[in-house]
Amino acid sequence: MPRGSVGWIVAVIALAAIGLTVKSYFGPAGGPAGTGGGPAMLAGAPAQSYPVKTLGGSTDSLDRYRGHVVLVNLWASWCAPCRSETPALERLYEQERARGLVVLGIDQGESAIAAAGFAKDLKLRYPILLDEDQQYGRAYAAIGLPTSLVVDGSGRIVRGIDGELTLAQMHEAVDPVLRGSL
Amino acid sequence: MSSRIAALGAALACGTLVLAQDVVPAWAGFHTWPYATVLAILALAIGRYALGARAGSDGPTGRRLVPAMLGALVVAAAGLSSGLLGPDTETVQRAPGTVAPLPDVGAAAFFAAADAAAIGRGDAGIVLRRRNAAAVELSPGERSFLGATVLELAAQPAAYIEARDGRGNHLTITQPTNAAFLSPVLLFPERIVISGETLPADSFAAPALGRQIKAFYFSKAASAPHPQLHPGESVLFAVNDDSGHLLAGAIGFAQSGQEITLGGVRLRPSIGTYPALVISAVPYPLALWVGGLLFLAGLAYAFGRPFQTQKVANRTATSA
Repeated sequence: MPRGSVGWIVAVIALAAIGLTVKSYFGPAGGPAGTGGGPAMLAGAPAQSYPVKTLGGSTDSLDRYRGHVVLVNLWASWCAPCRSETPALERLYEQERARGLVVLGIDQGESAIAAAGFAKDLKLRYPILLDEDQQYGRAYAAIGLPTSLVVDGSGRIVRGIDGELTLAQMHEAVDPVLRGSL
Repeated sequence: MSSRIAALGAALACGTLVLAQDVVPAWAGFHTWPYATVLAILALAIGRYALGARAGSDGPTGRRLVPAMLGALVVAAAGLSSGLLGPDTETVQRAPGTVAPLPDVGAAAFFAAADAAAIGRGDAGIVLRRRNAAAVELSPGERSFLGATVLELAAQPAAYIEARDGRGNHLTITQPTNAAFLSPVLLFPERIVISGETLPADSFAAPALGRQIKAFYFSKAASAPHPQLHPGESVLFAVNDDSGHLLAGAIGFAQSGQEITLGGVRLRPSIGTYPALVISAVPYPLALWVGGLLFLAGLAYAFGRPFQTQKVANRTATSA
């Protein structure tokens, strides 16, 4: 190969390397594989599951309800909006359990005694889990209580909602998933 | 000859300065004008010699050194780009079990869930997930290169807090001023000066009892001057009521695993560490490789040839 050609090849390689270097700081890096910033941002993400105690002392987790549409509700007995929302959750459970809906109440950070008192006061029949380490609250990016998530049968989060819901809003959140349209 | 030595010296200095970015990537000096100026001056010296050598000012050896000088220029460009265009070093601190999007890296960092024992051991890690790429698991002290970025984990003081009421019932902990509202792990992101000492600080609430609690982390070193007050690593708690008024006698130290009752709240910290993700810009690896290989190949081309020529001459003389 002529000496001049080798010189040109070396120069082109050097320029290309410099160009790629500069471009690497301006080029699109690609979207992140996940996001944070409140439960609404979790739509589409796989729902995390942790084994925790139930009111009866056994161990349970969200994963056990795979195949059902699950409305996960994070709550605590001292939380006034949780107390006012809970009767509607119980009604939703009664109305939709035949269609395969599971309402899963997950108490955040309290002892069984506080959670059991709350469940007894409000005559709750849907399953209640005790998340003393608040793992679900962290994983679901709760920015307050109550926090609700709709999880489809495949374990994917369809919606994450911060704050108290009415019965109509609960229906609006779960009906499309129960119909299989989402 | 002296200009050749100066140019080679500049090239080596340039390479050292740029490779230093890979060795200590978090050093803020790489993103300053003095660093960029030094690199630019070295690059100018290398470029000036290369132009002259190409025109024959340093004889045949100088002309053969031009590819090596081009390699050094590529390395210099990689270092300059990283220093001037790369983002400043960023530390991402998140609660265990949460996710932080990293748009600059095109990834999301999943901070591992950690209970009291994991905080005490300080072995929790972080998983980086990228679209269309394998996940990268990082443990404390490890680093990982992703393109023109290096990610490493730095252990930060942390405390897992257990709160109970007077009857021993577990209480919910909230952190209203933090992104992780429901985390019982304090990461002490604030810095507060008390009696001339800067202390990592955090705050949380026990809403069931209407208590707001401030927590200050005392490392072993910070505790050393006052062993009678706080022997060893500990957390100082100050318990306020709902309206933020400090309750009488509600200030006290607790060491890891030790329970203390203040303002009607029983508090037990498990002190240890939890990692923060440190993200630093580094020179684009492909450019470093291309530049480095060009430089070495150029040196071999320039200084290997007289030796080869001598060998051929010797062989010819022997056969004759």
